[in-house]
Amino acid sequence: MENLSLEIVTLITGIALLLIGIWGLLTQKNLIKMVIGFALFDTGIHIIMVSIGYVKNRTAPILDQAVKTNQAAEKIVDPVPQALVLTAIVIGLGITALMLAFVLKMYQKKKSLEINNFNDLKW
Amino acid sequence: MVGPLYIIAIALGTAFSLGFFKKANRNIPYAIMFLAIAFMTFISGQWLYAFLANQQEAIQIFTAGFQPPFSISLQMGLHEAVFVSMINGIGLLSALYLYEQFRDKGVQMMMVFILLFMGLNVIIMTRDIFNLFVFLEISTIAIIGLILLEKKEQAMSSGFKYLIASGIISGILLIGIIAIYYYNGTLFINDIISSNPLLLKGGSVAVFLTLMAIVLELKPFPVNGWALDVYESAHPGVGAILSAATGTAMLFVLYKITPFIADPWFNMIATIGIITFIGSNLLGIQQENAQRLLGYSSVGQLGLIMLVIGLSPYLGDNYLFIGFTLLISHFLAKAGLFWIAGIIKQKKIKNWSVLRKTPLLMVLFGIFILTLLGFPPFPSFFGKWELVMELSNNHQLAWIIAILAGSFLEAVYLFRWFGYALKKEIKETTSKIQFSKILPPFLFGITSLVAGYYTNIFQGDAYTINYLPLALVLIITLIDFISAKIKNSLAILAMAYYGFLTLPGLYENDFIRFIFMAIFIGGGILTLIAGYAYQGKRKGFYPAALLMFAGLGGIIEAQTTLQFFFAWEIMTFGSYLLIIRGKHSIKHGFSYILFSLGGAYLLLMAFGLMNAQVGMQISALSDINTHLNLIFSLLAIGFMTKMASLGLHIWLPGAHAEAESDVSPMVSAILLKAGVFGLLITILAMGAEYAQHSTLLYILGWIGALTALVGNLAASFQEDAKRLLAYSSIGQLGYILFAYAMATHLGWVGGFVYVINHFAFKAVLFLTIGAVVLRVGTHKMYEMGGLIKRMPLAFIAVLIGIITLSGVPPLSGFAGKWFFYHALISKGWYFQGAVVLFAGIIAFLYCFRLIQSIFLGQLKDNHRKVKEISIWFIIPIYTLIIGIMIFSARPHWILQPISEYIAPYFGRELTWNGSTAIAEMGYWNGEWIMYIIGVMFVLILGWLLYTNAKAQKVKQFNIVYSGERPFTPETTHIAHNMYAGYSKALGFIVEPYITKLWNNMSDAIVQLGGLTKRIYNGNGQTYAFYIIAYIVITFFLVF
Repeated sequence: MENLSLEIVTLITGIALLLIGIWGLLTQKNLIKMVIGFALFDTGIHIIMVSIGYVKNRTAPILDQAVKTNQAAEKIVDPVPQALVLTAIVIGLGITALMLAFVLKMYQKKKSLEINNFNDLKW
Repeated sequence: MVGPLYIIAIALGTAFSLGFFKKANRNIPYAIMFLAIAFMTFISGQWLYAFLANQQEAIQIFTAGFQPPFSISLQMGLHEAVFVSMINGIGLLSALYLYEQFRDKGVQMMMVFILLFMGLNVIIMTRDIFNLFVFLEISTIAIIGLILLEKKEQAMSSGFKYLIASGIISGILLIGIIAIYYYNGTLFINDIISSNPLLLKGGSVAVFLTLMAIVLELKPFPVNGWALDVYESAHPGVGAILSAATGTAMLFVLYKITPFIADPWFNMIATIGIITFIGSNLLGIQQENAQRLLGYSSVGQLGLIMLVIGLSPYLGDNYLFIGFTLLISHFLAKAGLFWIAGIIKQKKIKNWSVLRKTPLLMVLFGIFILTLLGFPPFPSFFGKWELVMELSNNHQLAWIIAILAGSFLEAVYLFRWFGYALKKEIKETTSKIQFSKILPPFLFGITSLVAGYYTNIFQGDAYTINYLPLALVLIITLIDFISAKIKNSLAILAMAYYGFLTLPGLYENDFIRFIFMAIFIGGGILTLIAGYAYQGKRKGFYPAALLMFAGLGGIIEAQTTLQFFFAWEIMTFGSYLLIIRGKHSIKHGFSYILFSLGGAYLLLMAFGLMNAQVGMQISALSDINTHLNLIFSLLAIGFMTKMASLGLHIWLPGAHAEAESDVSPMVSAILLKAGVFGLLITILAMGAEYAQHSTLLYILGWIGALTALVGNLAASFQEDAKRLLAYSSIGQLGYILFAYAMATHLGWVGGFVYVINHFAFKAVLFLTIGAVVLRVGTHKMYEMGGLIKRMPLAFIAVLIGIITLSGVPPLSGFAGKWFFYHALISKGWYFQGAVVLFAGIIAFLYCFRLIQSIFLGQLKDNHRKVKEISIWFIIPIYTLIIGIMIFSARPHWILQPISEYIAPYFGRELTWNGSTAIAEMGYWNGEWIMYIIGVMFVLILGWLLYTNAKAQKVKQFNIVYSGERPFTPETTHIAHNMYAGYSKALGFIVEPYITKLWNNMSDAIVQLGGLTKRIYNGNGQTYAFYIIAYIVITFFLVF
């Protein structure tokens, strides 16, 4: 366990979540479950992003009493992925919400949550 | 100048402020939104203007004053300016087009709409890949929001599928972007390019994932089911945005990241592109739903441009020109077509005939279809041309074949659709069309024309096209609403003017071209005179006819292969429009255009191969030194599609027979000569040395002989007079092919006699029979008879026509035979000669039938009162007959210069002494033959008249039918199934084997499409699986 540093653990967690998400998205027939699969997939990516920016033994890139501006360069992790992940989370949230809104509308129209019932358009 | 950041600021500000107007009259927020997008268009437009006027250098903007990666950078250069102008332009027009929907759905939709265009603007301008991701997501969310403009359940579920798919794709993109950052420490595209992420193994995976995500956003085949569903179910106005605006922006992204992808991956992009292009066009063939069809076509076009990006290493300096011309064509045409779809509101392409109710829409529809297909004078024509040329210069023949195959498939469904619009019955009428809906497609149609013109100008002097004839066509199109008589006069004037401009120069410099031009223009004027017989407006006839003649003239005038091909395509399209005018011509027009296009693509390939060696001058064709057989074969087959040689002839009988009375001679006597002219310059370029030992010409000779046999035999078995003449054309063109394939002096002079004769007598026959058909109202010969009493002038015309055709002295047909058999003997092609001789005898059968069944025998009851054919037909017919007489009596006026022209190429076998032609085996003097036969004719006629006076006339009812009245009296007449005996003996030769072969081929393609489209099973989950599988498979293929 000694060899497992934080970034490896988070990276593995992220990839695992991502794969679980894809599995859910591809196998679950229920629309809500598919959306959950997507959310997991998205979260997995976010964790991977954070783990990539991590530098061993450093802290979050927030400048306050703990981290003075003049020492910031040595004390904090790479701030860019942190900023990116915030944006990505917001976007993921937006997409998930839109998906749920569509699911709601689809349910209202057909009274069904089965993805197999929504293939009128094909070929 | 207003900075590009204001585009974002205005869009965002408007989107937020629109929230305050939820309760207000919806016109107010609409006006605000419209003004905002208009201002965005203005900003991008002024940048574009500044760049085009060279007043501006590209600028980089870093937000908040930081350097990357801590800031977002935008770039505004020429490319960005062009693309944001396109995006905002279509945004402005879409806002106009969707006015009703916005009023209906309220402020939220307006917010979503303006955010979508903000997103697309940033996607184009940004130089930061994460920022790219963010705005990509914003525009995806916005476009899915716009899908909700349509309330149907199908729109909902397709929106959901779209969301799932783009969710996965954007996840992949995000992983790729973060990995690129991990390996390069930057998100700034310029820095990524300079640090070259591909040096590391992991770096290349990162770039691969990013690239795949962007490629998947372009909806490659077969991973695009969700997009097709959206195209089908969303409001057409949204379809236009998705196809034209989003597609364009994504292509720009792909273009933007190409500097940091590895060379081998260009091949991957190209492969994805070509699979998409061919695959979606294949599936388009079976599609009946207009919007889904447009979806397939969109996907296909984006695939084509992806292919161009993938092939960019081969395209050199022309890469951007090719890519952009194809893109702008897709952009204009696809948006226009979607908009039209929204105006006429017809789901099934079969019902698009309602377009005819609004001629403007029909014209626009035509413009957009042609723009998509790369017809001249639209930008894509020049783009495709350059694409083929550049690929050919780099010896990428396989790519050319693939591209042309895909284009052909695309033409199949687009022309099927176009044919439906032109010909199908109109079932319902459209409601009133709003100005706001018709303005956008109208502007795009105009833009397409203008863009085509400037594309050509941009290419430089070597590419100059003579636009004068096209301008005349445009004028006659604009005045299509006036009476046909006036338009007819104007058309004749235009033709005469064109002849005045070109003929004297050609007469001086190039006699062969002069002959063909004289046939095209003289024949055109004569057949147009027959048009005076028609009443009313004859809508659409004159633009089509003039288009065809403009093309024919252009072929003769062309100095370069580009000019030739330009004119060739114009001619093809014009003649297609003429042919499809016939009452039952929908399928004949379709098969005509497909064969013509197939042939044109072979020509294009040949011109490409030629260009790689000797450039674009037509005169340089004789200088090529490698791939001789291939180039000449491609050219020959290409031209033979127009000549309707055996195997490529199946389009002709229907097309010519069903055409209108004055169109048949145009497309038969005149149009077929275009193929002949092409073949002629091809063989001239071969030179005697090559021609003497050419297997190709030997094969062509046999094809010619067999075409003559089959054509003539089939003509003999026809009951339909016009069909008979059509098959006769096939036979005659067989002779011509045979004569030119001999490539000897005598053979060629004979060939020219046949060309001139066929022009003259086929025009006479088709005009006369056409005029008769107009009077008696049937094509069937056994329903006519005895018309000599009612139409003596028509009878004389047909008589002279068939005398010329059959090659009986004294008329010029005999001259053809004389040269022909001399040439045969001196060339030593005895077997082929025997076939041709036999075919010549068969020609008598159908010639006799024309006279016997139509003019002799008893007059039919319902024809007792028919009048002589119209004077407007008699004038051109008798002018032509006078021409035949002169040519027969003074053949040397034309044949001597031709003979002198040809002699240097193939070695002299013939000399002239006055009107006497002297060859090794004898001599011939057309003038004396005229006199002698004339005297004989008068003597025999006199004797006949004398003896005939004593004959007793048989009354019509002086027959016995076993006491019964036959049910269909006409069919008991000898004229019906006249050559049943011959048919029993030789009919197997004319069984439609070849038609069946082609039908089976096309069935197979349709079946393949039908099987392939099963991959789109409509299930969003399956589509998600396709995405993952596509990435994994591509990954293993690439790494």
